Amino acid sequence: MKNVLKTLAPLALLLSLGAQAAENPTVIRFGSPIVGTGNRPVAYGSYYATAQTKALFEQEFKKDGIRVEWNNFKGAGPAVNEAVANNLLDITWEGDLPALIGKAGGLNTRLILASGFLNTYLLVPSNSTAETLEDLKGKKVAVFKGTAPQLSAAKILAEHNLKERDFRTISMDGNTATAALTTGDVDAIWTGSSAYQLVDRGVGKIVLDTRARSYELASQGFVLANEQFEQKYPHIVQRIVNVLVKEAVWSSEAANKSKVLQLWAKSGIPYSSLARDIEGIDLKRAQSPLLDPFFLANIKRNAEQAKKLNLLLGDVNIDEWQKPDYLQQALKEVGAEHYWTTYNAQGQPQG
Amino acid sequence: MKKITPLAAAVALAIGSLSAVQAQAASSPAQLEKQLQALQQSVTALQAELAQQKQQNATSTDVVTQADAAETYATRDEVQGLQSDLENYKYQVQRERDTQTALSTRGLLISGVIQGKYSATSQQVNNPNAPAATAVRDRTSTFDLGAVQIGFNGSLYKDYDEGRNLDYALRFGTSPQQGTNNSYLNLLDANLVYNALPTVNPEDPRLTVTFGQQLLPYGLEVQSTEELKPTINVAQFSLPTTGVAGSSGLDLSRRQLGLIVRGELWPVFDYGYSYRATTLTYALGVINGNGPNKTDDNNHKDLVGRLAYTLPVDYNSLLRQLTLGASFYEGQQNLYLTDTATASQVSVGEGRKDRYGLDLSYNHHPIGITYEYNEGFDAKAKGTTSARGEDTTAHSRSHTATLFYNFGEQFVKGYRVQGRFDDWWPKSYQPFYRFDRFNPNVDLGHQRVDIHTAGLNVFFAQTTKFQLNINHNDYESTGKQANDFLAQFQFGF
Repeated sequence: MKNVLKTLAPLALLLSLGAQAAENPTVIRFGSPIVGTGNRPVAYGSYYATAQTKALFEQEFKKDGIRVEWNNFKGAGPAVNEAVANNLLDITWEGDLPALIGKAGGLNTRLILASGFLNTYLLVPSNSTAETLEDLKGKKVAVFKGTAPQLSAAKILAEHNLKERDFRTISMDGNTATAALTTGDVDAIWTGSSAYQLVDRGVGKIVLDTRARSYELASQGFVLANEQFEQKYPHIVQRIVNVLVKEAVWSSEAANKSKVLQLWAKSGIPYSSLARDIEGIDLKRAQSPLLDPFFLANIKRNAEQAKKLNLLLGDVNIDEWQKPDYLQQALKEVGAEHYWTTYNAQGQPQG
Repeated sequence: MKKITPLAAAVALAIGSLSAVQAQAASSPAQLEKQLQALQQSVTALQAELAQQKQQNATSTDVVTQADAAETYATRDEVQGLQSDLENYKYQVQRERDTQTALSTRGLLISGVIQGKYSATSQQVNNPNAPAATAVRDRTSTFDLGAVQIGFNGSLYKDYDEGRNLDYALRFGTSPQQGTNNSYLNLLDANLVYNALPTVNPEDPRLTVTFGQQLLPYGLEVQSTEELKPTINVAQFSLPTTGVAGSSGLDLSRRQLGLIVRGELWPVFDYGYSYRATTLTYALGVINGNGPNKTDDNNHKDLVGRLAYTLPVDYNSLLRQLTLGASFYEGQQNLYLTDTATASQVSVGEGRKDRYGLDLSYNHHPIGITYEYNEGFDAKAKGTTSARGEDTTAHSRSHTATLFYNFGEQFVKGYRVQGRFDDWWPKSYQPFYRFDRFNPNVDLGHQRVDIHTAGLNVFFAQTTKFQLNINHNDYESTGKQANDFLAQFQFGF
């Protein structure tokens, strides 16, 4: 009997190792809606982007032989949604509107981390006489529809008692809109963090922005997990979240601000432009991964607003969508349980 | 007059006090002690004043620094260096433009497609009695260039405001020749396209008017790209007729000269996925009908039209890209008979040349299904010029069905447009099956030809694919069967 056991033991060990190996994916497919200048696969503006540039996941999963694949989409959020719909991505970063459209349309994603607030800007050509939003009524204004700046712009318009149809609103991707602003083919563009680059080049001037204003007007960033992947490889998702939360802590440190900006500037957007984008902003709050009551309440407000503006066809149950378990565990593992301030639904700090 | 700041005044006071101390150096120790105390008080007051000034300066420094950042001055050397770089660059660009750049009067995109093919068949090809230039003996395999095309496209007028652009297309191509190495380029496309409606907003319907030589807006096979057509060979029904009285196909794949209007109604754009579905597409055209680059051979213009309905659903719907279409072609063709005196073919009148088709396509990545049904009616003259019989009509019918499955991301539009450092392209594999039946005359009986094709397409670079096809041909008229093997690289630029 002992001999039989001796013979079977290595076999059992092999089988157990085999089963363990089968628990890991061969590849983890990350998605990002941001590309840098000249379509380089370098993003900016979030700890998720910093993690990509620092190749943190490659380091984390190298020992397991798991390949890390990055997909930075020129088509921004809508292209990420298309890839998720075709089951081509496991973990993604998205702005609020495309993520909400995807979820409302039935994409199997889980909201696992918050990824701060992003600024939206309204730029006009540098020689434009327009000084306010009202000056642009009836003029041709470009926005990349289906992306986060569209919802942010809609909220700003609502604040001014205006609607998209008060302008000749057309959809253009970032590069096309920049070219159109340069040649004067549009009267204004709604854009994100790359705005100061255009200002510094003398192409445009900022008429309006959400910088250092109400967080409700800014765009929110989300880290999403493909539900199928999340259910099959929860331990891998936990490791991913651990890496991201650790990175979020590093990115939140005021002492690291310069290093963070240097990493983001690898996208081709000048350091000075990126620095001005976050000037006067609470970096720690902007890099917070917490799914706190304010962040969740804001998603709900955004979803309602998007639905009211016919940008969202279905409903999104935010409470069912979010899955904070990975975040809670990561905060414990990283020792950051009390690092970030949590805010209540009204945006007031909680004890 | 210069303004004296409180700090300067305090410094002056302190210096004054110091001078007074020096002047009274010879005074008594008590006086000296008194003066020292006064001096210490002055220094203390001065230090307090200095600290206050420093605090004020620190507050204003941020503002000054910001202003300085916006007004950073360059030295003359730096400016001259920049000017020199700019001049060098301008010279280099001008020089390269003059000597190394292809120029055109208007915007131009040059493209090309080359198909390098090997084919083998179980049925020997024999044509020993033909003239030496075209004779074939016992051939079972060959290397071919399936098609070689070069195209030029561009804009003649660009409407930056609304996108009502005026575009052009010019394309030449050649196909395999038998018994000759004269690979003449034939004119394929030569047309002018005007966008009559604005094109900047994807939610707006579009309307184009195309004048010149172009493909017909008929069915799926004729106008589909590789997205719906995985085979190397085209479907039998779309092939040209053979000979003036023959009917081996419905002659729909050849370019025709004329004017065709193509439009859309009720387009739906899903911004969440950048997916556009046009609920109704229509096309109507008037053409010569006798093939490419030919003046009309009769006084009748042929009509061609198509109507297609696509379900107006969003991208994530299971019914995405489900399209039903109907097409027609109604025309007149010259009829020919053998002249008894000269033994040559002469025109003896005109007869109908009509085609009607229905099609269905479901292209929902990774699955694709297409089906196309067509009927053709071609008038035929019978007899000879001296003994002409009653004209008849060849009633042809075709069924073409294709099923394919994509492994890989080749056909996920947003996915393949990524920012990458290398020359990346998603590798994809597409196995498929096609059933292609054509009966040139259903009234005669036993005319049917069935071709079953199983194949694999491998997409491994942006414009390059490798194709393998195995055809099983079943000829009802002879009762024979044959198998073909085709392997082809298709590459383009």
